Amino acid sequence: MDFSFTDEQQMLRDGVGKFLEKSYDFDARQKLVNSDAPWSADAWQQFAEFGLLALPFSEEQGGLGGSISDCVAFAELFGRHLVIEPYLGSVMLAGSALAQSGHAAAQEWVERIVSGEAVVAFAFEEGHGTASPELVAMTAQGSGNSARLTGEKRLVHGGADADAIVVLARKGEGGPPAFFLVEAGADGLDARAYTTIDGRSAANVSFNDVAATELEASEEAVEKIIADAIIVQSAEAVGAMGALVAITGEYAHTRKQFGVPIATFQAVAHRLADMKIAYTKARATLIYTTALAESGAATPRDIAILKGQVGKLGRAVGEAAIQTHGGVGMTDELSVSHYHKRLLACDTTFGDHAYHFRKVGMG
Amino acid sequence: MKIEFAPELEAFRAEVAEFFATAPTPAIREAGRKTTSVFAPFKECMEWHRILYEKGWVAPHWPVEYGGTGWSVEQRFIFAEEYRKADLPPLLPQSLGMVGPLLIDIGTEEQKAKYLEPILKGEDFWAQGYSEPNSGSDLASLSCRAEPDGDDYIINGSKIWTTYAHHANRMFMLVRTSNEGKKQQGITFLLLDRIDYPGMEIRPIVGLDGFPEQCEVFFEDVRVPQSGRVGEENDGWSVAKHLLKHERGGGNAASPTLMRYCERARAAAAKTPSPFGGTVADDAVFQREIGELEADIASLGHFEKLAISGHEIARDPAFPSMNKTINSELVQRASVLMTQVSGVDGLARQLEALRVGSNVEPLGSEFDLVSMPLYLNSRATTIYAGSNEVQRDLIARTVSGS
Repeated sequence: MDFSFTDEQQMLRDGVGKFLEKSYDFDARQKLVNSDAPWSADAWQQFAEFGLLALPFSEEQGGLGGSISDCVAFAELFGRHLVIEPYLGSVMLAGSALAQSGHAAAQEWVERIVSGEAVVAFAFEEGHGTASPELVAMTAQGSGNSARLTGEKRLVHGGADADAIVVLARKGEGGPPAFFLVEAGADGLDARAYTTIDGRSAANVSFNDVAATELEASEEAVEKIIADAIIVQSAEAVGAMGALVAITGEYAHTRKQFGVPIATFQAVAHRLADMKIAYTKARATLIYTTALAESGAATPRDIAILKGQVGKLGRAVGEAAIQTHGGVGMTDELSVSHYHKRLLACDTTFGDHAYHFRKVGMG
Repeated sequence: MKIEFAPELEAFRAEVAEFFATAPTPAIREAGRKTTSVFAPFKECMEWHRILYEKGWVAPHWPVEYGGTGWSVEQRFIFAEEYRKADLPPLLPQSLGMVGPLLIDIGTEEQKAKYLEPILKGEDFWAQGYSEPNSGSDLASLSCRAEPDGDDYIINGSKIWTTYAHHANRMFMLVRTSNEGKKQQGITFLLLDRIDYPGMEIRPIVGLDGFPEQCEVFFEDVRVPQSGRVGEENDGWSVAKHLLKHERGGGNAASPTLMRYCERARAAAAKTPSPFGGTVADDAVFQREIGELEADIASLGHFEKLAISGHEIARDPAFPSMNKTINSELVQRASVLMTQVSGVDGLARQLEALRVGSNVEPLGSEFDLVSMPLYLNSRATTIYAGSNEVQRDLIARTVSGS
C-alpha cells in the first residue's frame, strides 16, 4: 500500500500552492467575492496553464490523463484558499459527463473546457437535498439530439454565467438518469442568479420545454462521475479543515484573557485536540477512499462514509473554530466564518451526513 | 497512491481463514465469544497464543529477525479481519505489544536473549506495574521506591490496576530511585524476573462487571537484581514514554474488532422487535446510529492503514494519543449500541454463564450475555493507558498553529 502523493503530485501541489498564496490570499478572495465577477478569469486561466482544467481528461481528448489522486492533491489547496472558481461543476462534473459521451458536439465542449475558453455548469440538485442520482425526478421528453427538458434545477454553480449546462435528468418516465446538454441562451431557459453563503455564483435554473442534446451515459458512468466529484469536494473540505485547525491553534496561543493565552485553559485545549482529531480522521478517510477509487475498488458505501464523515467532522471543526475565536469568529472580516460556510456547503450538497450515515446503516 | 488487490492476497485470506476455522479448540472459541474486555479469558487466551506461535503468526508486528511475519500492510489487515470474523480471543497486549517491542528497541542483548523468546512462545506473561493509588493520570508522581543495595534494589510501596497480575509470572514496573530534580527525573524502569519474590503480595480487585481483572501489588522490602533495569537509573521516564508509544500507538489494528461488534449488533437487531413495528434493524434511528458508528470505525481503520503503511500521518507527534482517543471512545460507543439492542435482556448478571467451560446456558442470546459486561468493562478504555483527558492535553500541545 502506498498512500503518499507522488513526486509529480507534490510538484503540482507546490506550484498551485505558490500561485494561490501569492495571488489568492484571503483579502484577494474577498475582493473577488464582493465584486460583480462570478469568479476570477485570471485565476481560471492560471488553472488552465497549470493543466488543472485538462487533468481528468484522456490524452486523446486533449487532456492529461490524470487520476483522481492528482485532483485530490490540488483540491486540498483549493479548500485551504477558499477558491470559488467552478472547477467541480465545469471540469469534474459537466466536463466528465461530456467526455464520456461519444457525441461530436460534446467533444468540442471538452476541448473548450480544457483550453479555459468555456465554462459549463452542472445541474443536478432539485431542492430539499438531491443526494444521489437515483433521487433525480426531472424527466426529459424525447431523446438524442431532439430531447426537451421541463422543470427546475437549483444551486447550479455558474448557472447564469456558463456557456452551457449539463443537466442530469431521467430518460423518459421511470427511465434511468442521463446527462443532457443545453446551450446558454436556449429558448425557455431562465436563470435566477444569486451568490451562495460560501461566495459562489449560482442560480436556480428553470427549463420550459428547452431543447437539449442527450449525452449517452450508463448508470455506472453517472454514479462514477458523482462519486469522483464527491471525492474532490471532500478534498476541498479537508483542506479547509486543516486551515481552520492551524488558524485556530495560532489564535488560541496568542489571544490572552485573564492574563494568559486561552490555549492554556483545558476546556479550550481539549477543543483544539478534538479539532485536530476530526481533521485527521477526515483526512485519513479522504486519502484512503481516494486510493480505493484509484484502484477502481470504491463502493457506494465507501463514498457514503467519506461524504458523511467529511460533512459531520467539517461542520464540527468549523463550529469549534468560531467558538474558540469568540466574538471575532462571528465576523465577516475574519476568514474563520468563510471556512465554516464552505464546510456547511460541502456537507449539504450531494446529501448531508445524516443521509449518508443512514445509507451506511441500511447496509 | 496504490492499494493492491492481488490474487495472492485472496489466497492468503483463504489460508488464514482456514487456519482459524480449524486450529482453535472449542474452549478457545468459547473464550473468544465470551470476551468482554480488551483482556480475554487468560487460560484459553494463552493456549491460543501458543498455537499461533507454533504457526509462526503470534507477533505479526514484530521485526522478522525477532519472530515477526514480515507481512505487508494488506496481509496484516486481512489477518486482523479474519481473526475478528472468527471471534477468537485477542492476544494479551502486555508482553507482545508492550515489553517485547520495548526490549527489541532499547533492551540489552542479554535482555533480548533472555526474555523475547519466552514471550513469543507464550511461556511468560508480563504484568505492567505503572499506576499507584496516588499516581494515576499524574504517573510521574509515583512513589513506589527502589533503594540500591549492592547489586540489587530493595522495593517498597504498591502498584494498582495491574491487569492480570494474578496470572503473570513476570512484571515490568516503574519505581522511584531519586527525589531530586523534576519528578520525571528520579524514575527507573525495572524488569522483575518473578512476581513471587519474598515480600510481594498480589490482591485481585473485583471490577464493576464482576470480574477480578485488575490487581493491587504490594512490595515490602522486595529484593530484585539491578540487572533487570532497562536504560539508566533515573532515566525510566524516557523508557516509559517509549513504551507508551507501543501501548497507545498499537501494533495491532483495533478497527476490525470494532466492526465485528457492529456486525454482532446488526445481527441481534435483526432479531429484536422494534416498538415502532418491524425489527430494530429496520428502525431509521438505529440505521442512522449504526451507520455513523461504522463510518467512524471505518475512519479509524483508514487511519490505522495509513499508519502501518508509513504515511506521514503516523509521524505526527500526536499520533499515539489520537489513536488511543479515537479507539477507546469507539469501543464505548459500540458497547452502548450493543446494550441498547439488548435492552432489558442485558440486565441479568450472568457471571457463571460467562465463565468459559461452565456449561451454564445463558438466559437470552449469547449477544445479550456479553453486551452489558462489555459496556461496563469498556468504561475503562478512556481511563487506562493515560486518561483521554491526558491524551487531549498532549494532542492540544501539538496544535500551535502554522
